[in-house]
Amino acid sequence: MIAVVRSELYRLSTVRSSAMSVAVFGAFGILLSLVSADMWALLAGVAAFGFGVTGVSQHHQHRTAVQLYLARPRRILVLLGQLATAVIVSVGFTAASGAVVLIQGDPKRYLITLLVAPLMAVLGAAAAAIVRSATFLFVGFAAWILFVEAMYGKMQEPLPFSAYLDAANGDVRRLLILLGWTLAVIVGALFAIRRDLNSD
Amino acid sequence: MIELIELTKSYGRVRAVDGVTFSAVPGRVTGFLGLNGSGKTTTLRMLLGLTRPTSGLALINKRRYRELSHPARQVGAVLEQGICQPGQSGRAHLITQALLTGADRARVDPLLEQVGLEDAAEQRCGEYSLGMRQRLAVATALLGDPAVLILDEPANGLDPEGIAWLRELLREHARNGGTVLISSHLLAELAQLIDDVVIISQGTVRHVAPLDELYGSASSRLRIRGRDPERLARAFEEAGAHVGIDGDSLDVIGLTQQDAGEIAFEAQVPIYELATNSLSLEQIFLDLVSASAPTAAEEAVAAEAVATDEAAETDEAAVPKEEAAVIDEAAAIEEVIR
Repeated sequence: MIAVVRSELYRLSTVRSSAMSVAVFGAFGILLSLVSADMWALLAGVAAFGFGVTGVSQHHQHRTAVQLYLARPRRILVLLGQLATAVIVSVGFTAASGAVVLIQGDPKRYLITLLVAPLMAVLGAAAAAIVRSATFLFVGFAAWILFVEAMYGKMQEPLPFSAYLDAANGDVRRLLILLGWTLAVIVGALFAIRRDLNSD
Repeated sequence: MIELIELTKSYGRVRAVDGVTFSAVPGRVTGFLGLNGSGKTTTLRMLLGLTRPTSGLALINKRRYRELSHPARQVGAVLEQGICQPGQSGRAHLITQALLTGADRARVDPLLEQVGLEDAAEQRCGEYSLGMRQRLAVATALLGDPAVLILDEPANGLDPEGIAWLRELLREHARNGGTVLISSHLLAELAQLIDDVVIISQGTVRHVAPLDELYGSASSRLRIRGRDPERLARAFEEAGAHVGIDGDSLDVIGLTQQDAGEIAFEAQVPIYELATNSLSLEQIFLDLVSASAPTAAEEAVAAEAVATDEAAETDEAAVPKEEAAVIDEAAAIEEVIR
């Protein structure tokens, strides 16, 4: 698992588009944190989810999942390594981009977001292990937030993104709901990764 | 050592790979030949644990791929067309793989040199030509210095120099005691490389033999021209040969040159030309595959049988029919070889 984490972090740092994404989102996060801690927390969650999704789905998009599973045929360990990588990246991103929030004297908000945002990263990475396509996942998740969580649930129902927004404000019950969703998706991913890796 | 035992993969009612059994042994290069869609890639993917077999066993060094402790140090594989993350440089790609497999990072630069990519090491993979990506894929396979190499169409995109380089690399690997299993549709290239041949068609292995034996079995095809072709053909057929007529020449299978000469002498037909028609691997392959392919009439009967099966029979009841079909196909192959 450690080998997967090291390899994934090295890959992230050497793929120009991935490194650029982290840098751009980081700069955007700093700007937003100057405006509002709420907006920064929102961006941290969205970015963490996105990093989690792309970290896993890129392997399927570029077929490098073949080399990943050839090198490490025990797929559960690969998945755990990818989830750990998503946590590390999102913690680093959240910690760096939210430095202004910390300096401005809102350490509680900073620490809560630092705790909750990685859950979104894990949720994204596990969902990507199931769906295997970033495009389908991003479009599906956007539609889910718009139609299910916002229009139907008014962002009040016990659904993942609504739960994240409240959990990032310190709501422990909503944090547990988000944790439950994350664990459910991880369980789904543990079954989904057993699927055949078919050629193009 | 690679062993496949009754390896089968079904997608619904379709058997993409059906009871494939063969071995690839150390010190030899085994060619895995088949037309597109014949089941080669699915077989290799099952061998490498990427696709789950419906039944059967695929073993490398007596163990399933997923059970190997350090698979990349035992098996190097080249699958698909030069897989790499397009945003990474060739060197970064190999370092990523080295970190993943636990291979020595110090091997990265020598390998880049070995595959001829040292000048493009810092170039992004997305800018590589197909041939360069194939070279990188070979370097990736060699990273763990494995004894077993499994390559699916590795020559795709390589220029003639690249193909010659790959051929020498694989021969050297086998000379050093390594096991090489290679699939390719470039039969002329493969003929210069392989020691053993496995032919697969429609998901079923049609022929397993050393390449020399395959050539030997097909070398009794003679091209004969004489004064009276019809009388000659009759005489050869009475001697048990299979005779085809090609213009004013006869295409004779099943006789040696000496036998054909003696028979023509006894039949008192002057011979103008008698030559051994050496077949290429491609010709032998196509003969074997076409001999085992069902005719339109057989397909119609088979379709009717399947429809009947769907209506009434259990899978168990269908097995004897499949076995009978395999026996028929094997007889057809033997007929061609004879």
